[in-house]
Amino acid sequence: MAYKPQFYPGQTKIAQNRRDHMNPDVQLEKLRDIPDDDVVKIMGHRQPGEDYKTVHPPLEEMDLPEDYVRDLVEPLNGAKEGHRIRYIQFTDSMYFAPAQPYDRARTYMWRFRGVDTGTLSGRQVIEMRESDLEALSKNFLIDTAFFDPARIGIRGATVHGHSLRLDENGLMFDALQRYVYDEKTGHVLYVKDQVGRPLDEPVDVGEPLPEEKLKEITTIYRIDGVPMREDEELLTVVKRIHRARTLGGFLPVEDVFEKL
Amino acid sequence: MFMIEVEIFPHRYLKASTTEKFLNKIYDLKTVERVVIHGQPLPKVITYGPARGLPVNHTERKIIHVKGVPVELTVMAGRFWITLSDDSELDKLDEICKEMFPFGYNLRVGKFLKDRPTVTDYIKYGEDGVFLINEMDRRLIGMVDPRSRMANSVTVVEKEEKEE
Repeated sequence: MAYKPQFYPGQTKIAQNRRDHMNPDVQLEKLRDIPDDDVVKIMGHRQPGEDYKTVHPPLEEMDLPEDYVRDLVEPLNGAKEGHRIRYIQFTDSMYFAPAQPYDRARTYMWRFRGVDTGTLSGRQVIEMRESDLEALSKNFLIDTAFFDPARIGIRGATVHGHSLRLDENGLMFDALQRYVYDEKTGHVLYVKDQVGRPLDEPVDVGEPLPEEKLKEITTIYRIDGVPMREDEELLTVVKRIHRARTLGGFLPVEDVFEKL
Repeated sequence: MFMIEVEIFPHRYLKASTTEKFLNKIYDLKTVERVVIHGQPLPKVITYGPARGLPVNHTERKIIHVKGVPVELTVMAGRFWITLSDDSELDKLDEICKEMFPFGYNLRVGKFLKDRPTVTDYIKYGEDGVFLINEMDRRLIGMVDPRSRMANSVTVVEKEEKEE
């Protein structure tokens, strides 16, 4: 295919970070190594070591009607096995979180297969076959520079907090206090799973990233960081889309579009 | 009775211990009449989702002591509305803030609390209700939501007379 994806317009650092997130060829920096079992505990869908529950028999054993699309598309491992579909949901603080909902949606769509994702102003849910979801949560969503323990929360319900001031330790507000700041070690510990059920043992997700690092890797335009108005290329594109959508309904003549 | 109102807006949400220290310090000032603590509510139990009904046990929801009077803190404090009897101690207040909030804060003088029943009160409670509001202690108007029980949301800290 001759088309080469450009991912995202813009000349600023923020735009570049967004492109890096979306581009499947870019390997994001690995910052921490959370054990598989701990990720499973935080997600709270099954106990570590427990078998995956299935909703249908393995595809190979199923007697399905003939369909050439099925031959074209290679199923995910979880789909082959018939695993359930589960979710993980993130909340991103407006204070220079590395990711934010729209960026997440686009990144998921560019990088992963078999995902269903939902974007809301303060949270972003991703649904997928359980086994595949666990693997990608660990390898990409939590272990890399896509995540920050303080500014991003893993929250299944009661997500309120993304637009609030941080607390004194620099953590995003969470009414359910799923994670706490350990003042001795400086690490963030998850004491509850994503919906607020207490965990037997706290899960250590490492140190919050320093402010400079966050400003370096963030994908959020902010007046006290990199403001959106500084990015001329991006503004041109946004304006063009806005005007085309506004005028599009009124059958504009050619010369209107020339000015866009 | 002439009073001025001050809003203190720290740039971070405060821990219960900081709130306690801050309140004790401002209650040392002579001119502080009333303090309203505004912030994010901290629920006792989880109200939504699969874990509904489980206790939250938030470490910042606890009883603090202001001048020896126990006050149940049900919010994570993010803003204080303080009524002062005059502006003679504004500088001292500013100094306390500077010391307590190294991460920054805003201090504004203005009007933040209502001091008489409003149209909303007429709609909500009718004329009888507004009559009751007019009958109650003037110093309590604007401190609390009239729907909530006073015992839960107002604490009187004796000096000459103070609430919060």
